[in-house]
Amino acid sequence: MPTMSPRRWRDARLAVLLLAPAVLGMVAMRVVPAVSAFAESFNHLSLRTGVKEFVGFENYAYLLGSGEFHAVLGTTLLFNLVLNPVIVVLSTALALLLAQRLPAVGLWRSLIFVPAAVPGSVTALIWSTAMQPDGLLNALFAAIGLPKQPFLTSSGQALGSIGLMLAWGAIGYWMLFVVAGLKDIPQAVYEAALIDGAGWWRRLTAITLPLLRRPMAFVLVAGTVGSFLAFAPVQILTKGGPDGSTNLLMYDVYANAYQVGDLGVAQAEVVLLMILMAVVVAIQFRVLREERS
Amino acid sequence: MKVSRVASVFAAALAAGLIFLPLWWVFASSLRPGNSFVENLTPLSWRAFLPVGGSFANYEVLLDGDFARALLNSFLVAGVTVVLGLAVAVLAAYALAVLNFPGRGYVFVFVILVSMVPFDAIAIPLSGLFSTWRLSDSYAGLILPALANGFAIFVLRQFFLGVPQELLDAAEVDGLGRFGTLLRIVLPLSKPALIGAGLMLFLSQWQAYLWPLLIGTSPGKQLAPIALANLSNLYSVDLGQILAGSFVLSAVPMVLLLFFQRQYTESLSTSGMRG
Repeated sequence: MPTMSPRRWRDARLAVLLLAPAVLGMVAMRVVPAVSAFAESFNHLSLRTGVKEFVGFENYAYLLGSGEFHAVLGTTLLFNLVLNPVIVVLSTALALLLAQRLPAVGLWRSLIFVPAAVPGSVTALIWSTAMQPDGLLNALFAAIGLPKQPFLTSSGQALGSIGLMLAWGAIGYWMLFVVAGLKDIPQAVYEAALIDGAGWWRRLTAITLPLLRRPMAFVLVAGTVGSFLAFAPVQILTKGGPDGSTNLLMYDVYANAYQVGDLGVAQAEVVLLMILMAVVVAIQFRVLREERS
Repeated sequence: MKVSRVASVFAAALAAGLIFLPLWWVFASSLRPGNSFVENLTPLSWRAFLPVGGSFANYEVLLDGDFARALLNSFLVAGVTVVLGLAVAVLAAYALAVLNFPGRGYVFVFVILVSMVPFDAIAIPLSGLFSTWRLSDSYAGLILPALANGFAIFVLRQFFLGVPQELLDAAEVDGLGRFGTLLRIVLPLSKPALIGAGLMLFLSQWQAYLWPLLIGTSPGKQLAPIALANLSNLYSVDLGQILAGSFVLSAVPMVLLLFFQRQYTESLSTSGMRG
């Protein structure tokens, strides 16, 4: 390395000072807990005696051999497999509709975005009120002659009801990213297609969707990360029930740590959650890249 | 207008109406005292959506109770997070964008990688560490994790990179120094990015649920979302009050986002697309 000029030295010293709060914060608040979860996942802490002992892979072996954990994993994967594609399709459809020049388009866009401003826990409270036996949804159903639905109180509908809440809170937010992607497509491409006589459907499938792959991939990956971490509706409304039908991974970690009090198992579960998320995100990137080439 | 355009407007209005309806219903119902909003639902009447003859009774009862304290806590925690979080992020972003020092690339990659770890995934192990560090049930405990916001750093850095080099050089010639340049030249030019990053920090606190549930355990330190969720589990509390609280907690970010929609959207697309 060439010797640094006095000015570069000054800059380097200043950079250390300016970066210290952010970097230290990120180490203490993000890196240390991730490393600690990994380390603690090999320990067992007895709540009765308060003694901590090293147990190797016992916590992982317990989880991977437990039918209950298999059910949690299955529920979480099913939930994500259905919810995330729905979110991508709906937010893209809304973006296509609202990226056009329409009367009052700003108003429609704002109304669709508004649910993204609502805190997730509040979304859960609002929808649970609307899903009561005599709530808004059943009233609307009755008005069009449909029978009452149990929603959150039935093991067949509870998970779908939670998915509906999350989708409601998410699609307006993700729509913004797709709208931004649409605006990046050069107008000249469409003009050329029009001259060639391409119809609406042809322009959509041959130009718009292929050129939207990047923003759509981003929505799929970031949306998946969000859905994997779904927690508030489960903790506030269903506590994982009825019959474990809404016992998603994040809630199970919380329950193991704070209700069962088995911290070692909870930390092992956090590690598995992070690995699972990384794998899912990596697969999605891989698939999307292959499609491109 | 062409037929397809009319159909598009109709579809857009229908989608917007359907998506906004639940929130409007929450507002209308919150103006019906106690649980009386239910009366307009079976059978469904227009009164369910138009609060004619309504009152603010639910809001009065709610704000007389512990919820007022929790709401104040939420404002305090989110406000302090915005101020301190912006300070931390501005300094880091300035160093990454303007200063030329060895290892800059590595620090930047570190910031990006760390901000890709979603906070909620490590919240439970961190809450264990916070009780060891004696930060449980304190304002510091509620605020500290939100200050390490990699997205805010990223958004500001991208914006600072766009400040013309000639301007920075001119400031240098004028003898402003690195700090003077930041305060007098860079920051006044960066209002959109500051607003965008500030909103991100505000929302990250205002919308949080898991972390305040783990850390703000005593009633005096509870944040509003936790207090409201706890209220909803008491059978003695009217749903009308829950709806009133839900509306308050939604209206605050809604108003902010409506005012600063442009800056927020720009920041989102910087952090999302190119991140």
